[in-house]
Amino acid sequence: MEVLMPNTLDEALRALVKNQDAVIVAGGTDLWPRIRDLEVRPERLLDISGLSGELSYIRKEGGKVRIGSMTTIAEIYESRELDGPLEVFKDVAAKFGSPQIRNAATIGGNICASLSSEDYITLLLALDASVVLKSVYGERTLRLEDFIVDKRTVNRKPYEIVTEVQFNDMTDGWRAGFEKIGRRNTLIINLVNVAVALRYNGRVEEARVALNRVNRKVPGRARAAEKALLGKEIRGDSDLEEAVEALRGELSLTSDFRASGEYRVALAEVYFKRIVKRLVGVA
Amino acid sequence: MSVSVEEFIGELQRKAERGELLYIGQSLRRIDDLEKVLGKPIYTNDLLPRETLYARLVLSKQPHAILKGIGVARAISYPTVKAVLTYQDIPGENISSTIIPDRPLFAFEKVRSTGDIVAAVIAENERRAAEATELVDVQYEPLPAVFDPIEAMKPDAPKVHSEGNVIKHMKVRKGDVEKGFQDSDIIVENTFRTQFQDAVPLEAETALAIPRDNGKLLIIGSMQTPHHVQAAVARVLGRPLEDIEVIQAVTGGAFGPKSDEPPYDVSSIAALGAIKTGRPVLMSMTRKESMIAHTKRHPAIIHHKTGVKSNGRLVASEVQIVLDGGAYASLGVLVIVRATFHANGPYDIPNVKNDGYKVYTNNTYTGSFRGFGAPQAIFAAEAQMDEIARKLNMDPLDLRLMNMLRPGSRTSTGQLMDDSCGLPECVDAVVSASNYREKRREYSQQSGKVRRGIGIAMLHHGNALGPEGNDYAYVHLSVEKNGRVHLGTALTEYGTGAVSGLAQIAASVLGIPLDYFVLDRPDTLAHHETGATVASRVTAIGGNAARDAAMKLKERATAVAARLLGVSPSDVRIVDGLAFVSGNPKRTVSWEEVVRAAYESGVELSVIGYYMAPQCVWDQETGLGSPYNQYTFGAAVAEVEVDVETGQYRVLNYYVAFDVGKAINPKNVIGQLYGGSVQGIGYAMMEELVHVNGKVVNPNLKDYYIPTSMDVPERMVPIIVEKPGSMGVYGAKIIAEPPIVLPAPAIRNAIMNAIGDGVNDLPITAEKVYRKAKELGLG
Amino acid sequence: MDRIRISFRLNGVEREAFVSPEERLLDMLRDDMGMKSVKEGCGTGDCGTCTVLVNGKPVLSCIMPAFQARGKEITTLEGLNEDSAMKVIQDKFREYHAAQCGFCTPAMEIVGYKLIKESDGVPSKEEVKEGISGVLCRCTGYYDIVDALRSAAEVIKK
Repeated sequence: MEVLMPNTLDEALRALVKNQDAVIVAGGTDLWPRIRDLEVRPERLLDISGLSGELSYIRKEGGKVRIGSMTTIAEIYESRELDGPLEVFKDVAAKFGSPQIRNAATIGGNICASLSSEDYITLLLALDASVVLKSVYGERTLRLEDFIVDKRTVNRKPYEIVTEVQFNDMTDGWRAGFEKIGRRNTLIINLVNVAVALRYNGRVEEARVALNRVNRKVPGRARAAEKALLGKEIRGDSDLEEAVEALRGELSLTSDFRASGEYRVALAEVYFKRIVKRLVGVA
Repeated sequence: MSVSVEEFIGELQRKAERGELLYIGQSLRRIDDLEKVLGKPIYTNDLLPRETLYARLVLSKQPHAILKGIGVARAISYPTVKAVLTYQDIPGENISSTIIPDRPLFAFEKVRSTGDIVAAVIAENERRAAEATELVDVQYEPLPAVFDPIEAMKPDAPKVHSEGNVIKHMKVRKGDVEKGFQDSDIIVENTFRTQFQDAVPLEAETALAIPRDNGKLLIIGSMQTPHHVQAAVARVLGRPLEDIEVIQAVTGGAFGPKSDEPPYDVSSIAALGAIKTGRPVLMSMTRKESMIAHTKRHPAIIHHKTGVKSNGRLVASEVQIVLDGGAYASLGVLVIVRATFHANGPYDIPNVKNDGYKVYTNNTYTGSFRGFGAPQAIFAAEAQMDEIARKLNMDPLDLRLMNMLRPGSRTSTGQLMDDSCGLPECVDAVVSASNYREKRREYSQQSGKVRRGIGIAMLHHGNALGPEGNDYAYVHLSVEKNGRVHLGTALTEYGTGAVSGLAQIAASVLGIPLDYFVLDRPDTLAHHETGATVASRVTAIGGNAARDAAMKLKERATAVAARLLGVSPSDVRIVDGLAFVSGNPKRTVSWEEVVRAAYESGVELSVIGYYMAPQCVWDQETGLGSPYNQYTFGAAVAEVEVDVETGQYRVLNYYVAFDVGKAINPKNVIGQLYGGSVQGIGYAMMEELVHVNGKVVNPNLKDYYIPTSMDVPERMVPIIVEKPGSMGVYGAKIIAEPPIVLPAPAIRNAIMNAIGDGVNDLPITAEKVYRKAKELGLG
Repeated sequence: MDRIRISFRLNGVEREAFVSPEERLLDMLRDDMGMKSVKEGCGTGDCGTCTVLVNGKPVLSCIMPAFQARGKEITTLEGLNEDSAMKVIQDKFREYHAAQCGFCTPAMEIVGYKLIKESDGVPSKEEVKEGISGVLCRCTGYYDIVDALRSAAEVIKK
């Protein structure tokens, strides 16, 4: 195994275009256990930890929030930028691995792993985030929903590096909530996670709902549920029945040794309702 | 308030005159933890010579199959690989078993579980060894397999070994249960199930073998019983015991599997590798290897049929316990004995019929683990009590108070309880600390989505080995010329502080401060074989041997001191390292002076203390008699809060009281109450090693959930009760194991109080509670 | 494959190492640098016993590539044994019997040390539980560890 260790993004991109078989390692928290377990045996690694100076940032500019891909979960947890409705990022961080993992894991790594267990994918889908990919040939921006293809498969060309996630700042009535449920209180893989973003002014004006498994094995948007929420005034559970019904139809939560699919769906429904009610201030 | 040194010594001297034991019952600091807090104790893997080779295991991919062939050629030629070991490399017997010789070290002719070790690869580099394991070409011809112990008991089930699948059938027969059922007003029947639990000592099984001249070996490893490992390795190597020296390194948790067969495996494989290569070999299981290949707690299927009078008096109890033994017997043949003896719970029941079976299946094997059959038995017995109380519309506490063991009552084997039965005191303690009765009333009128509940459970726990073997111990004490006292014993320390406690006992008897003591590493060449370090018996049994050794040593030291002080030995007292003349506390001579004089006059300050517990007498056919010399008692109350929409719940408060006879070091006792209870909370709520068709699907700490600091109850209240027993040192009873037993039934019963029904199979996951709540129409 | 030459500071001292690509920080610290307080409990980043400080932050050395240590400041318990706050923590661990088998102790002390250093006052029980939540302990049930750390914080924050 060979390791390329660039110190700048430019160096990294140039190295990558010449070594398109290279597996990119950022925080290493996902990749390293798999290398250890002989699950993956890369010939070549591109270590981008040297880029953390360039790619670790949280900025609000021109109505957009930009998070550098090398930003660690701990940096998100402690960020002052992520305030108001953006505090939801901290709800994800609080249940992310352990404090030590948060210090190493990056938001870019979380997205690129493309698994139903990666909680930031769910949240960022609910925020309709985009991914910025750079290469020696230039830069492109892709909606996260199009970036996530399948389990461990993303829409990244072998010479590209994800440098940023970005989304519209949550102003004028936008609010967002997140819940993750596991088998214990920390160090957990989710049985289900739910993220909801709403623009609510007496009625639901816009809604985005994402869960860890919707219509495929990776996180996705629950569009039928979103649609059912539109225009609704929410005073209690009965106003959410239609949305819950719709949600049930589009989840692809399956059974394994951790929990049955049926129970996951039940959790998804309960927490979906709780988040929406919390966001609109209904008990 | 300040006390002068003279006053302090004076007070100690007055106590010594009265014959008080200064250090018994005090929460002294352990003498073996300074290195631990500095990160400096030497665990096995901290000790590798430069030329050490590393071993990795090839485990069976099939749960039951004929072994058609093992191709090692590709693995042997892999970079840095020095050897690939299989059954063909065993010069002695291919056996790695404790009691019944049913388990080969390396699979031979067939594999019986996915935990079977087929081969081991030894290489310069651990990673290369791991890679090479995939190149070992093992050919299997699959056989029909059986994974359910009830199925395995049927006559036409696939046979795991050549004989039938029932390894052991254990019975208790007291009175006449059929007549008891006829005399009962109601009969309550339920079936309970428990899961595979992994002990997860944070240091997995490991051993380092270092070759010596003439084919002799030194083995340093993580284990509970070095002499058993020595015998096991000698059998595999076909060499005499004395060729193999085994030293127990500092051991990072054990909890039972390290008294069972896994340390035999790692030590034997390291030894074979060392002999084959002439170099030191480390066989250190990865977490995954450990979780697949070491012993776990037996899953159990337990059926209770209980006959009760309408006033709550228990008349008859019939219990059938089936333990999933996995593919091998291990110490599990003794686990079923303890489970069957404790199957009815801590109650006086005139008619009892218990049948316990340990059964072979093609699951990975099960064996010794903290509690040793009691967690399964008491979970079922105590859940059954709440089921009975519900049928009678009685408070579960009242039902228990009416039937529980107290002085004058008899156990299921007819053993009479004497004044050392502290169960009533334990129950009182947790009931009043938890405000049980008031909360029970309060929680009976709830209607919301979040409901609270409170539940109780209690136990008796036969002490030390009892029917499991001869309960003896040796403790060596030897004094260096500078006055330091070496305490050596093959009883091992793996976290509890019990061996430090032995020094505390010896210090008390000798009248010298604990600081004078040094704990020597258990070593088969230096210390007598002393039985297994199991059954929480170090303090109670080993303490008697430590006391015996200290008394012998004191007699010699006192004679020397008497000579120095010019008085008769009967006039000498020793306190806090100072010998003085009784009635004349100013005439003193220091411990160091006594020791120096002993050395100069040829008095040997080196002794061996010994203790053997009275034989336990009980009938092999009926189980009747006194299988244990004394019992520990305990009670716990759990308070939970349940979200009925999701089934998620948390334990708010946990109150636990144990009658430990005499707490030699109360802080150590509390440490066991905390730690054992939290392991029990894991067992109750989340831990389950899942087998699917004989394969372990979660052999890692990502998906095998043990409690984190965020999962423990907000408040835990440990309470010590002391009703001295007849056997243990100064009345001490055993305590390391029983605390793990109570959380599962207490939590189960608390949830039943909260939502109106209980979950009868462990672990009680949120999903199972959700299903119950849904059945009850609560969600 | 060639080894990678890296330099870093370990416990305040400039060090150099030649690491293989798949080597973990844990292996380098234990095998090459002799830092035996760093323990391997799971090898998969799930138990926390391998915790060390990298640039002052607790991370898991069993899932960090050794080559990522280049240019970093690494601290293990060996480097903190003379630290006055750590000495208080260690003394309290003994007083409260917070070390049973000892295997998680170095990691517990390191995360406890960071927590206390970064707290304004004496951290609450909940804060301590959260702070140590990434290190599993199988012996103590955590209560004595939480009490020891809070008691240490009372001394350190005085």
